[in-house]
Amino acid sequence: MTKKKPLQLFARLLGNERWQFITIPAFSILCSLVAISVIILLIGKNPLEAFSSLLAGAGWIAKSNYAGGKAAFTDFMDMLDAFTPMLFAALAVTVALKSGLFNIGVAGQMLLSGFIATVAVGYSDLPSVVARPLVLLIGIVVGAAAGALMGWLKDRFNIHEVVSSIMLNYIFQYVISFFIKTRYIDPVSRQSRMAAASARLEITDIKIAGVTTHFPLGLVLALIAAIGIWFLLAKTKTGLELTATGLNAKSARYAGIRTGRTLIIAMGISGALAGLAGVTYYLGSVRSIIPGELTSVGFDSIAVALLGNTHPLGNIASSLLITTLTSGSTYMSSTVGVRQEIASLIVGMILLFSACGGYLKLWVQRATSEQLPDKGSESVHPRTISGQEEQA
Amino acid sequence: MNTIIIDGLSFALPLLIIAIGGIYSERSGITNLALEGLLGFGAFSGGLFVAATAGVFAPTSQVPLYLSFLVAAGGGALFSILHAVLCIKFRADQVISGVVVNIVSIALTGFFTSTINAAVFGQASNKFMLSTSPRLTIPLISKIPLLGAVFTNFYPFEVIILVLVALCWYLLYRTRYGLHLRAAGDNPQALDAAGIDVARVRFKAVLMSGALSGVGGMCFAYSISTNFSPAIYFGSGYLAIAALIFGNWKIMPTFAACLIFGFARSAAYQLVLALNADASVADLAMITPYVITLLLLAFFAKTNRSPRALGELYDKSKR
Repeated sequence: MTKKKPLQLFARLLGNERWQFITIPAFSILCSLVAISVIILLIGKNPLEAFSSLLAGAGWIAKSNYAGGKAAFTDFMDMLDAFTPMLFAALAVTVALKSGLFNIGVAGQMLLSGFIATVAVGYSDLPSVVARPLVLLIGIVVGAAAGALMGWLKDRFNIHEVVSSIMLNYIFQYVISFFIKTRYIDPVSRQSRMAAASARLEITDIKIAGVTTHFPLGLVLALIAAIGIWFLLAKTKTGLELTATGLNAKSARYAGIRTGRTLIIAMGISGALAGLAGVTYYLGSVRSIIPGELTSVGFDSIAVALLGNTHPLGNIASSLLITTLTSGSTYMSSTVGVRQEIASLIVGMILLFSACGGYLKLWVQRATSEQLPDKGSESVHPRTISGQEEQA
Repeated sequence: MNTIIIDGLSFALPLLIIAIGGIYSERSGITNLALEGLLGFGAFSGGLFVAATAGVFAPTSQVPLYLSFLVAAGGGALFSILHAVLCIKFRADQVISGVVVNIVSIALTGFFTSTINAAVFGQASNKFMLSTSPRLTIPLISKIPLLGAVFTNFYPFEVIILVLVALCWYLLYRTRYGLHLRAAGDNPQALDAAGIDVARVRFKAVLMSGALSGVGGMCFAYSISTNFSPAIYFGSGYLAIAALIFGNWKIMPTFAACLIFGFARSAAYQLVLALNADASVADLAMITPYVITLLLLAFFAKTNRSPRALGELYDKSKR
């Protein structure tokens, strides 16, 4: 028994079930940082230096020097710029996953809504009071339509949503590339022409406390959306229907839920969120579209949603973490000389460890319940046992 | 017309071998979204092998070419252990695990390729150069109109793939292990009751999918770019998943799906060339394979049925 002491201590450190939603991700992040430190040490660099420059690049701590009028706050807002579409995209994946669907087409839905909004509003001279709400509306409608199309294809024709979304990703990508190249190309940048500033979901070059920066208008909306989706899933009838279908479609049908309709609603909501991600991305931090390319935000959002435990509010934390890593990595590679790829390696490692979270939970349960003399009861009431442990 | 067949086959066959890898894993009950990452890691291992042994073999030797496929299979299998361990031992969600494996593979291979190039070969590059694969033509048969194109200008790996496909088909449908594998995906409880270790069967199946994907990745590395670079991740793993779902998780229908896909793709290319059209029109033509796939699925997907226990953790106590 004495040999198991440190392990048990460690298990108790991870806490009971009530706190595991925070202790287990924290442990995963810690493990991955340790693993990455070893790699950075192996290539002969200082890991602490690398991590601090990563944070500085994302604006959490100050860099050694700044260009005129800029400060750590500027970098921080830059990071929030990338954070906004990431949170929307992660929410899109979350809603679908909660409903038992896998929306791998977020990138395509983003591109489609971003493109249509750019062409319809971004190239017009509408005043910003009209243009900005219109951009948001287009994002929601176009995204929802694209998402619902996948749901409909699955309901009507039994086409797996993974297949249809991959196919539609390619179709959107090529068709939009065709239109950009033939009509909306900027001959110098070889991208689509810049959208008008009045349509952009971002206030640029404002001074806040004497520091030049910009403010992503979608940020507030994204946070509201996260809370709204949480409310929808946890507190409403539609939310119950979605999650019930996600947990077990067959029993949901027996319970009288119209699963086909639920499927289309789920993909519609997911698509609308992806559309919002698209307009806050293509009319937010970037102003033009590169023809024939899908943004990596669409695929990274899958990882972000999973890291956030597919919980709408957890997504806020995980989006913040991942965008910190990605937007800080350029500064890290330029100052410390650690390659930029390290950032995505950290993301991968964090995910790797958090994928084992379920197992870890089980292990903690076993390790803590072993302290009790009666081993047989462990499988019967693991919840009460770990609860008693905490009080003891 | 000949070019359509030649190019179509050289795209369809690597896609097929990756899809068969997917079939092995999914028929055993393990969802495998990791194909993209596995094929990339396989190609990375093969590329690294070619780069590392550049001085060992004579410059004109074909040995590294063939050995690289073997190494790629090994690399893919090695990396698939990650997916297998996560799904089987650590009880991770299989979709999550697949996505994670892809992300880790892209990050890891990109990082190591740059680092190894800088540290060992002293050049700043994110590629491993490969030798150009030879292309073979069988003398007499290739003269047959239309059908002869199949025997003209083909890559040696296409033969390797066809042999592998035949072996995989036999293994899956005609051997005891294949029966166990299919049972593990449809009714693991029955398999367990028969005294077979479900976890072991599934583990082997995932390893198999890693090895086959690795070979497929290496083929793409030779046929598309003659190097290993992060450009290998162009979505062929996901396409292979689409093909195997299209093929209803069976080898022969998947073969047909891949052929349709490959030919539609090369026909679209040739059409653009023949019309002498602008490069931007090529973008429109490129959607052909994807539109055809969706349309065909709309007609034929009704009867599709995934393996019953696909994506489920095997739990002995479950009824």
